[in-house]
Amino acid sequence: MDRKRTALTVAAAGTAAGVAGLVLIASPAGADETPPVLPPVSAEALVQSVIQADVPALAGAVELRNDIGLPIPGLPQATGDNVARVYTDGNGRGRISLKQGSGERTFVQDGTTTWLWNSANRSVTKFTGGEDKDGKDTADKLSDPATAAREVVELIKKDSTVAVDGTARVADRPVYQLVLTPKPTERTLLREVRVSIDSQTRVPLRLEVLANGQSEPALRIGFTEFSTGAQDPALFTFTPPAGVKVTEGAAKDKGAKADQESLFKSANLKIVGEGWDTVATGQVPAALLSAQIPQSGERAAADVTSLLKRLGKEVNGPFGTGYVISTKVGTALVTTDGRVAVGAVPQQVLIDALGQK
Amino acid sequence: MSGLTEQGAAAVGTAAARTKGLRKVYRGTVAVDNVDLEVPTGAVLGMLGPNGSGKTTTIRMLLGLVTPTAGEVELLGQKMPDGAAKALPEVGALVEGPGFYPFLSGRENLLRFGAAEPLLATADIPNAVGTAIERVGLTAAAGRRFRGYSLGMKQRLGLAAALLVPRKFVVLDEPTNGLDPAGTREIRTIIADLHAAGTTVLVSSHLLAEVEATCTHVAVLNQGTVVAQGELSALLEAGSASLLVTTPEATAAVDALRDQRVPARPTPEGVRVDLTATTAPAVVEVLVRAGVPVYEVRKQRTGLEDLFARLTEASSAADLAELDTLITEEAR
Amino acid sequence: MSTLVVRRAPITRVLRSELRMVLRRPRTLIGLGLLALVPVLMGIGIAIATANGEEGGAEGLAALVIGNGMLLPIFALSIAMAMLLPLTGAMLAADALAGESAHGTLRGMLMAPVGRGRLLAVKAFGVASVTLIAVLLMALTGIISGVLLLGGDGMLTASGTSLPFLDALGRVLITALYVTLQVWALAAVALAVSAFTEHPLIVVVVSLGLVIVSGVLAAIPALDWLDPVLVTTSWDAVSEVVRDPIEWGPLVEGGLRALCYLVIGGSIAYSRMLTRDG
Repeated sequence: MDRKRTALTVAAAGTAAGVAGLVLIASPAGADETPPVLPPVSAEALVQSVIQADVPALAGAVELRNDIGLPIPGLPQATGDNVARVYTDGNGRGRISLKQGSGERTFVQDGTTTWLWNSANRSVTKFTGGEDKDGKDTADKLSDPATAAREVVELIKKDSTVAVDGTARVADRPVYQLVLTPKPTERTLLREVRVSIDSQTRVPLRLEVLANGQSEPALRIGFTEFSTGAQDPALFTFTPPAGVKVTEGAAKDKGAKADQESLFKSANLKIVGEGWDTVATGQVPAALLSAQIPQSGERAAADVTSLLKRLGKEVNGPFGTGYVISTKVGTALVTTDGRVAVGAVPQQVLIDALGQK
Repeated sequence: MSGLTEQGAAAVGTAAARTKGLRKVYRGTVAVDNVDLEVPTGAVLGMLGPNGSGKTTTIRMLLGLVTPTAGEVELLGQKMPDGAAKALPEVGALVEGPGFYPFLSGRENLLRFGAAEPLLATADIPNAVGTAIERVGLTAAAGRRFRGYSLGMKQRLGLAAALLVPRKFVVLDEPTNGLDPAGTREIRTIIADLHAAGTTVLVSSHLLAEVEATCTHVAVLNQGTVVAQGELSALLEAGSASLLVTTPEATAAVDALRDQRVPARPTPEGVRVDLTATTAPAVVEVLVRAGVPVYEVRKQRTGLEDLFARLTEASSAADLAELDTLITEEAR
Repeated sequence: MSTLVVRRAPITRVLRSELRMVLRRPRTLIGLGLLALVPVLMGIGIAIATANGEEGGAEGLAALVIGNGMLLPIFALSIAMAMLLPLTGAMLAADALAGESAHGTLRGMLMAPVGRGRLLAVKAFGVASVTLIAVLLMALTGIISGVLLLGGDGMLTASGTSLPFLDALGRVLITALYVTLQVWALAAVALAVSAFTEHPLIVVVVSLGLVIVSGVLAAIPALDWLDPVLVTTSWDAVSEVVRDPIEWGPLVEGGLRALCYLVIGGSIAYSRMLTRDG
């Protein structure tokens, strides 16, 4: 029957077109493109150009992809999600919008003031005053890009192999891929760190962390959209909405800093080793381990120890008893007496680090 | 082929509707098989058949509502269902009970269907609706919601929808369903009017008296096939396969005939002789030879009911074949 | 007799008649009325909660809508998007083919004749228009009750900026159009189901089943690769509308996804209409 054949053809064609469309929408544009041809560049020169480069006026969307094998509250899981939009006018004014569900946290630096807006509780926090000192120090250090680049590369080269590994496209822009590979002597879980650098502006567009035995990056943060050019100046101003109370941020911040410092002191923070197998060890108050922590959602609160038991596995050794939490990119060891060791390393390195104490 | 083959052959191009080798299978069940139906232009064809004989399925295929599994349908010279856009504007139909929106009034329902009628100019719709309502005698109830209509009123509204526009061909599936005797009479009048105006009408019915009273042609369906069709008078002729002999010596007459293996039986009116295996002159000859006084010999007009009963009860293939030959011969 | 030519009733006349009929259907009217009430009830609820000082605990749009009346229609639409509007779309689609088939009115249209393709187009038009009317009605009652009950001139966006009234109105309109498109996508699938059956309830159950199953699949991390083809994936993107500046990416992607579903549903429905027994 002709009509039947027409009907089947229409149904098949329409369904195929629709499904193909659905799949196409999902696949990133230009994923299969051949890498762009760019003039060759050495790793040093690339790093130097990055340090030297001024960030131009730009707008972009940042995606975070996390596949480290441990659910982290607040971070999106394996699928990529745009988590932030970034705008800057290239002259120190900028705006970052962090998505939080259907709400948003917005940071606006309008040149003199930094505004922090949180839609969840409709609060505005205001930080006035110039740039902080640490930033200036860094800026001074970076004033000689060539030296800085050499220093940076030297530093990295101590433990890693640095190379420019071809080109690629990120956010539809041609990029150089700078790859840092740990030297074979490094006892680390990581295989390589890959930084994609925009060939034109020399702005790093993407950072990927690849773990041993994984073909997909365990962690990836980078632009999905990136465009340079003058931005709407309105983006870099912020007027607190009517009826919203504005908190002066500076004073509170100092207090917080002091709190943090005392916490750091009590934590007895130490760095063991260097390079890729650096391990941070420290001490958490034993009380914390039995503290109740509020859980997101409807689940009942759980104390830290039971959470550790759930996430990690129990181990015994010269350090006593503890729990090991392993992810694809790092391992953490928490002993029952409150000692902590964290690093991008296998479990044994953590145990060794604790033993050095 | 059953029925008046030669008439069909002569009527090429003048049939309002025609099917050839029509077959419809619903999920393995054969609803209609090998139906060759012909509705001559200008005729009022009564479609007879017991429930489940395939009348409605045939009509639905005729109107392009259902695609046949096999076979061909021609409606007003157009191949269906592909020619629906050409043929159907000229066709009015009431099929499988009237379908209307329960929440709209009768008039609103007709206005809605009027809007879809290709032959109605937009400005003429209200008038056409008014006329149709009047014609089926629904004027009083036209403003009421269809939900509250009685079966008869629903049927009338369906008829009104079929008659919204002057048609070349009108198909009425069980039009008298749910109507009181007065309503039935009105339908009969409407059909007669349509016939007088030259409209071809196809009426399916299980009421034989209806068909006998209003139809010029008849098609009888049974178990999904046409078992007989043709002009009503010819069919009735053909169906009267008995002879009524008036004689004072009924017993002698029956004995004489039975000796010659001719089935006969005495009845209050006279001796009824079955003509299936013999002819009228032969019967008379037998009786005269036997010295039976014959006052009157007359072919018995059995009526449609008798014919129908015989056609539809003769379910075995042999019986059907026999009947077929009989009807064909007699029609000649 | 072979001189017959194709004749059709003027399409605008048929479309008008369809729309008039759908809007006379009691179920449609009740549905529209209930949908129009949703923003009003939400406005009252939020106003009472605010008066009692229960501001904490709210998240996302709910936190933002207090004292921010122009956000109420967007908030209400995004809430209705989860179930009420899909239900409305599915019901309309169910009545359009399955329901009419059960009443025998579809047969009447086919015999008029309205061609099968045109009949589907007419029915789809009816579903689409009433969906749009429902969404616009919700937007309207949302704006009115928002401004009256919650107050606020203009709109406070999730990014902390304040939009003047006209811009806020534009945002409401964008939301309405986006939501309508998403409901159309589901209704297209429902219409395809509707073309296969005579039981409207089956259509509603299958369509809402699709929504629920999509939601469940989306919630399973191991099946994340399925997300792009789920009809519900882009429904959350409505909240992009309240950012400033609007992030068009997710909205455009959602729109394209809806179009794909319209093509799929439409072609299957058309295919079935061609062969369906009237």
